[in-house]
Amino acid sequence: MTTRTLDMANVIASDVTIAGDKTLSGDITFSGDVVPSSPLSHRNVIINGGMQVAQRGTSSTDVGSAGGYFTVDRFRIDTGNSAGRCTMSQDSDSPNGFANSIKLDCTTADTSIAAGEYFMLQQRIEGQNLQSFAKGTSDAKTFSVSFYVKGNASATYVCELFDIDNTRQVSKSFNVTTSWTRVELTFPADTTGAFGDDNAASLYLIIWLHAGATYTGGTLSTTWTSATSANRAVGISSFFDSTNRTFFITGVQLELGDNATPFENRTLQDELLRCQRYFYMVGGDAGGDPEGASGNQRNYIVGRTSNSNAMYCAPPSAVPMRSTPTVGNFSGSFNINCINKDGATNLNTQPTIDTYNYGKPGNTVGNMYLSGGSGLTDGRVCCARINAAITFDSEL
Amino acid sequence: MADYKLLNGRNEDGENYQNVLKKSEKISIPFDPDNRHYQEYLAWVAEGNTPEPADEE
Repeated sequence: MTTRTLDMANVIASDVTIAGDKTLSGDITFSGDVVPSSPLSHRNVIINGGMQVAQRGTSSTDVGSAGGYFTVDRFRIDTGNSAGRCTMSQDSDSPNGFANSIKLDCTTADTSIAAGEYFMLQQRIEGQNLQSFAKGTSDAKTFSVSFYVKGNASATYVCELFDIDNTRQVSKSFNVTTSWTRVELTFPADTTGAFGDDNAASLYLIIWLHAGATYTGGTLSTTWTSATSANRAVGISSFFDSTNRTFFITGVQLELGDNATPFENRTLQDELLRCQRYFYMVGGDAGGDPEGASGNQRNYIVGRTSNSNAMYCAPPSAVPMRSTPTVGNFSGSFNINCINKDGATNLNTQPTIDTYNYGKPGNTVGNMYLSGGSGLTDGRVCCARINAAITFDSEL
Repeated sequence: MADYKLLNGRNEDGENYQNVLKKSEKISIPFDPDNRHYQEYLAWVAEGNTPEPADEE
């Protein structure tokens, strides 16, 4: 075989534009800069797209009666009017190169679909993380969405981008088979309706899995348009058509540009910190038991006593939260002691959290008020001992 | 009976503030317009509902 070397410097005398897609089979070394049209890093605006983080737990049963966040961080279920139910879990079944997926497993079928029914998986994205798409300007960019999916049988579902700031949307359908398949969808640019540059939700990435005629009765809207319900999820199968039905998804990516690039893998730490802008918890068992059943996973938050029956404490967060969080618990009641030189007293009434510290750049300490105790001396340093996990939730 | 009840809190400067308890979920909701639970509460109030008053301290 004769090897021929092309002296590019002599062949190409000026800038060259290569039209159309080309494939080079060998390695390429550039002696100059490589200038891509889309970012090389931080391409994926989806958080936890590899389904690595599940702070709330790895499995939740009877999902479908109400919307909310159940297992894998940042991925929300929205549902309405359906009798269908499923188990949602973080599953190890995943394509090569991934360790986790979301699994939805239908446990109660709903084959009589009323017009207003819907069931969807979604991620809500802050407007300030979407400014590079230049939506609503003459320089608006295309959106590329990619993910891996698998099911128990063939099915067709719909992926929708819903601009919540301007009530505009665009949808594309995709197919699921019994094998892991990568879906790549390109959505057009939208020169109408800018995303707000703030911490509120601007865009919902939605996977429609079940819908009635209210959402399927029209023609699928494959270009950006003012939202018309009937055009949002046309042509989909129903995830709730049988208790045999399963749906797996991972590797979810939303990026700028005409072409989906390989999934941008991030470390567990990177993804966890991104997730903790929206949700984290204090206390609980390091092994994943939020109740701290082993009894040796208590956490302490420093504070100061207030009068004889209460304390202020400063719950720390790893990153500034998106907004003042809602405070909740896993065990159905709060289990907190105030401990200092006065001894210990229970502070198990419902806590309150002050908005004062949140929304300030760089702030990672809150201000929570715990009451219901007795025997304390006002103004002393103390600790709140958290015996069962407290949750801090500022999800979109 | 209302699912929401006001809660009294106090910050370290001695200033009083309120949260609202969603009783069915036992969550304390701050009065932050960016908080989604507070947005749901405001929508509930806009429908003409009224929360239970806070307990006297």
